[in-house]
Amino acid sequence: MALAQISRRNFMQQSALWAAAFAGGGMAGMATAQAAREKELNILCWEGYNSAQVLDPFRSSRGATVKAESLTNDPTMINRLRAGETNIWDLINVNNPWARKIMLPEKLIKPLDRAKFEPFFNSMMPEFKAPYKWAMDDSGEQLIGIAQRFGPYSFVVNTDKVSRATAEDQGWNLWNDPANAGKYGILESDDWNVFCLCCIAGFDPFKVHNDEEVAKFTETAKRVFKGAKLVGDIATMNQALVAGEIDFHLTGGTYSASPARADGHPEIRGITPKSGPLAGGKGGIAWIEITSVVNNPQVSPLAEDFLAYVQAPDVAHTVAFAEGTYNPVTQMGNPECFKLFSKEQLDAIQWDSLAEEMARSAEYDIVPDYDKLLDIMTAAKREASGG
Amino acid sequence: MSPGFRNALPVMLFLLAGFAAPLIAVTWFSFMPPRTFAFTGTPTLENYETIFQSTSYISFLWSLALAALTVVLLALIAYPVAYGLVRVFGKWSMLATLLFTIPLFVSENIRLYGWVLFLIKNGVMLGTLKTYFGIQAESILFTLPAIVLGMVYVYLPFMLFPMTLGISMVPQDTRDAATDLGASRWQVFREVELPLSLPGIMIGCLLTFVLAVGAIAEAKVLGGQQIIPITHDIEIAFTYSQNWPLGAALSVLLMLVVGALVVLVLRRFDLDVLLGRR
Amino acid sequence: MLQKHANLMTDSQPILSLKSVRKMFGPHAAVDTINIDITEGEFFTIVGPSGSGKTTLIRMLAGMDQPTSGDILLRGTRINDLPANKRPTCMVFQSLALFPHRTVGQNIEFPLKIRGEDPAKRKVRALQLMTLLRLPESYYGKNVMKCSGGERQRVALARALAYDPQILFFDEPLSAIDYKLRKTLEKELKDIHRETNKTFIYITHSLEEAMVMSDRIGVMRDGKLVQVGTPHEIYTAPRSRFVSEFVGDVNVIPVTRAGNGRLRMNDSGRELVPPGKAPEFASGHLVVRPEYLRFLKQTSDADNALEGRLYNEYALGSRIQYQVRVGENVFVVEKLRQQPFSGKLDDKVIIGWDANDGILVSE
Repeated sequence: MALAQISRRNFMQQSALWAAAFAGGGMAGMATAQAAREKELNILCWEGYNSAQVLDPFRSSRGATVKAESLTNDPTMINRLRAGETNIWDLINVNNPWARKIMLPEKLIKPLDRAKFEPFFNSMMPEFKAPYKWAMDDSGEQLIGIAQRFGPYSFVVNTDKVSRATAEDQGWNLWNDPANAGKYGILESDDWNVFCLCCIAGFDPFKVHNDEEVAKFTETAKRVFKGAKLVGDIATMNQALVAGEIDFHLTGGTYSASPARADGHPEIRGITPKSGPLAGGKGGIAWIEITSVVNNPQVSPLAEDFLAYVQAPDVAHTVAFAEGTYNPVTQMGNPECFKLFSKEQLDAIQWDSLAEEMARSAEYDIVPDYDKLLDIMTAAKREASGG
Repeated sequence: MSPGFRNALPVMLFLLAGFAAPLIAVTWFSFMPPRTFAFTGTPTLENYETIFQSTSYISFLWSLALAALTVVLLALIAYPVAYGLVRVFGKWSMLATLLFTIPLFVSENIRLYGWVLFLIKNGVMLGTLKTYFGIQAESILFTLPAIVLGMVYVYLPFMLFPMTLGISMVPQDTRDAATDLGASRWQVFREVELPLSLPGIMIGCLLTFVLAVGAIAEAKVLGGQQIIPITHDIEIAFTYSQNWPLGAALSVLLMLVVGALVVLVLRRFDLDVLLGRR
Repeated sequence: MLQKHANLMTDSQPILSLKSVRKMFGPHAAVDTINIDITEGEFFTIVGPSGSGKTTLIRMLAGMDQPTSGDILLRGTRINDLPANKRPTCMVFQSLALFPHRTVGQNIEFPLKIRGEDPAKRKVRALQLMTLLRLPESYYGKNVMKCSGGERQRVALARALAYDPQILFFDEPLSAIDYKLRKTLEKELKDIHRETNKTFIYITHSLEEAMVMSDRIGVMRDGKLVQVGTPHEIYTAPRSRFVSEFVGDVNVIPVTRAGNGRLRMNDSGRELVPPGKAPEFASGHLVVRPEYLRFLKQTSDADNALEGRLYNEYALGSRIQYQVRVGENVFVVEKLRQQPFSGKLDDKVIIGWDANDGILVSE
């Protein structure tokens, strides 16, 4: 019988052979990454910088091989460097606090030539004028990265269901109203979810939390996940908002809402609460990406070249509207760059309220007891399973 | 060193490197201190303690339950289909089964997002019902039935293929002989076709069970993470939590649980005995 | 010939009658207008080369196929549309079609189980049948696939007998068995036939096998029954060259009747004395079996004589076969081993036969 020809052992051998072949192939790929660094650049980044629109002109003008890997989580990228990948990557693009607070002290990145790069900050929007806090080390002496994309990131509503004014006024308490259970989704972005849960619980996420706060966090996490209609990625959230499966979702802003807005759904809108428990009574949280040069023993000379390249008005505009999500860029402070944005594009990134939203937002920071809160949240999510 | 051993050596090394090494690495890693990234730490049972003190069992149970439910539904759905294929296409039935594998060329996520568009409120199904028939139905998207639907859909080919093979391997003569000896159609099925196609059913069930225990996308995409299977927990440990040793320990436990179940089933139903070979 | 069955001689109603049975596959008639009556208790064998339609015929008899036209009557009742599981007949398949997932006992008991018989009774009957077929009792719980080829044959037969059929069909069950075992099983089968007194209808492509076991033989060719008779009749009085050649090596001489009542060989024009009864024969073949050909000292020692050269000899167990070349033709002569021919190769020899040992066939 035919079945007898595919014995179990045979099958295992075949599988193992393929697995070994793949493993071998992977190792071969790593080996080639060591050689010829002059014409080679490896970027570890959030999505956008890895798009062909951004990279192809650079590749062809420099005749370089550029590899960009996008991840959607800062700690993952940093742990890649910690695990020894500093000899692979040349540039790393993460949110604001990591370069200054973690990567430089851990020698994962190296400072930039201040004289060469500081002038770029002067053509940026006023808030980013040199010396810009997140681009500098603690002492304020060293320039450690360049700012480009940024945006407020709290939550998103369908304004047909909940008006912008109501959402801004109610703020995080939307999630404290039992009537809203089953009406909302949660955009999966675990560190941001932790921040948001802290805000709903009524305290600042970016500090060490006492037992009472941890207990409050635990209760809030359970309740919020239990009441969520769904948890998912950006596309799922936007789809569910547009289809009417949900009325609003936790964690989000221009970054996540812009694809839906650009697709003809201006009712999908990122909201920054008017007030909240963040430092100074601020209502929302904003992120600013900092791109730094990795402390690679054989760093590519193209790394700094690329940092300068993305400052050009047209490239900055491309970065703002690279595939996936659309975001404001600091270079919009330069009229040469700003004029490249169409009305529709400005509308997609909520330019009308960008300044006030940024003013009402605290800047993304590191949660000192993040691991503990994340574990609590993961358990809460799991325990809400099937509920 | 015998020539046989010498000849087998390259393959054995290959096996070791490609198959055993990653398993050993994961196992070793599960004994490293939590939230570390090197193989050089002092081995500890801390990760396992954490798991046993946590609510991870919920995820384990969900994964096993979802996989078991999927297997049962698939067996009920795929057997008649396979039976029909063999009856209609005869010796070409395996080729016909290949048609069912064509969707495998499209990424699973894309297919699942297709289902989202189909099931979502005002989507293909509910939208059509509303527009043309005025029926306003609740969406099942982001619920348990949607997850099960997705899993049944995704793993159908893996059940269908061995089942069709199993049924097509039942010799026509044994059917004829049973009929000739007085058996009714139902008796032929119960006494001959079903037991003789059992190896195909068993292989299909084992294959889909092992695959379905590893399912993650269905619960994420169609279930809106309303259910967190153990694979998702492992993913969270390796990504957001950046707790690789914990993820490794969860992986090891999952392998142990699934491995034990498979061994148990294979003990109970020896394929060779089923095939009448021993 | 022993006459074992009294009813063979009576003209009672046949157990199975075929009336103009035809089976068409498209425009092709696989079974072409077959008429035959099978007597109760008979061992009837249908013999024919592969593709002659014998398997199609037996499948219709067993109920696994329906005839395109014509009738199949069981004790006078038309059973054309009666499905296989409703017919009081049973078949032993070429593949044996044993149930590989069952033990010897379970295989034998299968028809009893289907009939809903009590397990204890089933076992008693199975053990009876095992004894009849010389299967050790210890085999009852043995997996059937662990049995040897011969044992499997017996299990298959026991299973069919357990059904207690009025007619047993056999579809070449011995064709895949080696020669020695086949010879044993042929005889065993005949013994079982005697023990059970059932009607056996057997198909095979080997006339030799048919000869050993059968009461009557039907020879099939291209869907038609070309001759039906006892083994003796088939052997001694074949009605066609096809039938005569089916028995084994024969000497076939194309001949035409000459004006003087003699036969003229078509190639050499030589005249031969015809067998005594050669009524209105015009042209065809003269068949002479090798054992009827003799080596002669002189041409006058037999009615018909031919001169040739001894070409080769072959030892066939109890007999020795000689090839003699006469002109372009090759003749085969057989002698018993105890009485070998003493000639040398390439010797000039005379071979001949008595007129009445020849058989005239028109086809």
